[in-house]
Amino acid sequence: MKWQRVNNTFLLIPALLFFIFIPGLGIVLALLESVRSGGTITFGHYVDLFEEERFMTSFLFSLTVTSISTILSLCIGLGIVKAFSPLLKENKHKLIVWIPMLVPHFVWAYLVYSLFNQSGFYSNVFGMAGWIDDRSQFPTLVQERKGIGIILTYVWKEVPFVTLMLLPVYTTLSKSYKEIASLLGAGPYKAFWVAEWPFILPVLVETGAILFAFIFTAYEVPQLLGVTSPQMLAILAYDWFYSGTWSDRPLAFASLVLVGLGIGFVMWLLIYFTNKKRMHITKGIRN
Amino acid sequence: MKKRLAIIGVISLLLVSACGPSNATDSRELPYEDWETITSEAEGTKVNLFMWGGDDGINRYVDDVVAPMLKEKNNIELNRVPLDTPEILQKLQTEKRAGKDKGTIDIVWINGENFKNAKENDLLAGPFTDKLPNFTKYYDTGSQAFQYDFGTETEGYEAPWGKVQFVFFYNSEKVKNPPSSFNELKAFMKEHPGKFTYPNPADFTGNAFLRHLLYAKSDSDLAQSDFDEGTAEKMGDEVWKELNDMKPFLWREGETYPATLTDLDKLYSQEEVWMTMGYNEARAEHLIKDGVFPESTKSFVLNDVGSIGNTHFLAIPFNSPNKEGALVAINELLSPEAQFEKVKPDYWGESSPISYEKLNEEWRNKFMSVGRGGSVLEPSILEETYRGELDTEYVEWLKENWIREVAESQ
Repeated sequence: MKWQRVNNTFLLIPALLFFIFIPGLGIVLALLESVRSGGTITFGHYVDLFEEERFMTSFLFSLTVTSISTILSLCIGLGIVKAFSPLLKENKHKLIVWIPMLVPHFVWAYLVYSLFNQSGFYSNVFGMAGWIDDRSQFPTLVQERKGIGIILTYVWKEVPFVTLMLLPVYTTLSKSYKEIASLLGAGPYKAFWVAEWPFILPVLVETGAILFAFIFTAYEVPQLLGVTSPQMLAILAYDWFYSGTWSDRPLAFASLVLVGLGIGFVMWLLIYFTNKKRMHITKGIRN
Repeated sequence: MKKRLAIIGVISLLLVSACGPSNATDSRELPYEDWETITSEAEGTKVNLFMWGGDDGINRYVDDVVAPMLKEKNNIELNRVPLDTPEILQKLQTEKRAGKDKGTIDIVWINGENFKNAKENDLLAGPFTDKLPNFTKYYDTGSQAFQYDFGTETEGYEAPWGKVQFVFFYNSEKVKNPPSSFNELKAFMKEHPGKFTYPNPADFTGNAFLRHLLYAKSDSDLAQSDFDEGTAEKMGDEVWKELNDMKPFLWREGETYPATLTDLDKLYSQEEVWMTMGYNEARAEHLIKDGVFPESTKSFVLNDVGSIGNTHFLAIPFNSPNKEGALVAINELLSPEAQFEKVKPDYWGESSPISYEKLNEEWRNKFMSVGRGGSVLEPSILEETYRGELDTEYVEWLKENWIREVAESQ
């Protein structure tokens, strides 16, 4: 018994070392860079950060784009799973939904760009069909201030991921809860909230958290589809990192460390609470 | 078990801390032998040339002209690696901090703020230009243009590779009378809204466009004066005002700007805009030949504002694994043969920093007789409007302030 336990610890070592050496070391160095100024340790860069208007604009823009993309992806993904879950059990149908997952984000963004920009595919189609006289009449969907192109890319790309996460829940979801709910007089709306929602909520929260963290700090898609200002956070950090004299570098590190810590903390909170809830549900089922 | 974990923790921490920078050995020295020894040592080696890869003509010049030339003459294999210059410097900086004395980069194409950065952070091997036979023989070694790079003293840390001047390109089918002064350019924008824009000043060319406006708003020769925050701000105010006045007439009403010159070129080739620009008076030639730019592309300069020109260079990083090879390759890139091919419009088409007076009769005639193509302005026009490059601190200053004053102001 004891040997088994010790053995398990040893099995963990490769993973642990991997974490310490690559991402761990990176994080520590980033932290150090963000508080180093000359030879002393200071939190001045963080103070500077909040005084930078660019950072605040960027932060709010990232937050808006990320929230909208995440929520839309979750809603559409849920809708698709709910509507097609019997169909989606078959592999060939699954494949159709998951095709966007096979394409890298950057390629997908480029696809969105070439389809929707003002001299892109749809603009040409519209022009040939005679719906618009000039390319400039085509609505600007990419490289505009509201981030529509970025949101479009992410929603398109992440909906399959949401369905992937939700499908197993729906396939194992027992029908009887819903039947009982409707027997007790619940309409379809009420039945959803009572008999389905509690089961899918933890998965939704988890998926949402992953998407949020992923989109919030994304670089390639906003680089291709974004505008000069406002910028998403990763782009701002990149700009600072590569600014000519390298004097803005601490700002780049500080902003990323801050975002990393923020996301880490929120993730921890979410997982803590949903785990509690999940335990509750699983226990409830067993009893 | 806790004890074990603690031990593991301590060991890993020790390992991590052992990875810090070490400056035990110093192998960054350039070879001190005579040129013949250097050439013989360089024979049969491979040289990695890291350079910006955003221009197809330039890339083909290196791959199809220079690489075979080096292979034949010196038996050196030249390997071009396309990477943005700031990223090359980042790589060097990382290698330096990690104490890596044997890097992968032998030559880097560099100038301006990147050179300043590299020199100040000790990322370059040291002075080497006086070692190069072709440089001492064919170049005006005392020229101001080689002594200073955007206000930074070169001190032989880099060898001049080319010389370019900033011009605008336009589609002569759409624009009958190209503007010849800044006011005419503004009038053009108002007449044809949405048909002009400039790249984000974080881009080299976009920044050069802004530097011209600084010139326009200044009454002294900025190339000769150091950066001064006060004067910059005074000129800046007028520049921001001009740019904000232009904004409603720009492509997409200035809501966004092309992130790079490549993006602006794309807009131009799709005829979304009617003008593009570039820090090379002849860069349109091969783009027209390749069918990227319309046949009717011509160029112009603004007579009152002038046209900034500069020299760009080749340097050797501190940890180049093959410094002998690098020296021989750079020497070859500076040779009349390689420079002549570079001036021809087929690949690159930029001016050569070589001194025509120092060439022999035959080479001088060859250089003089190159037809640079229909989109390139007369040398006399370029010469008349030539302005020296500004202190590199202006580049950074414009980049940062433009975001606040122009991009973010609605």
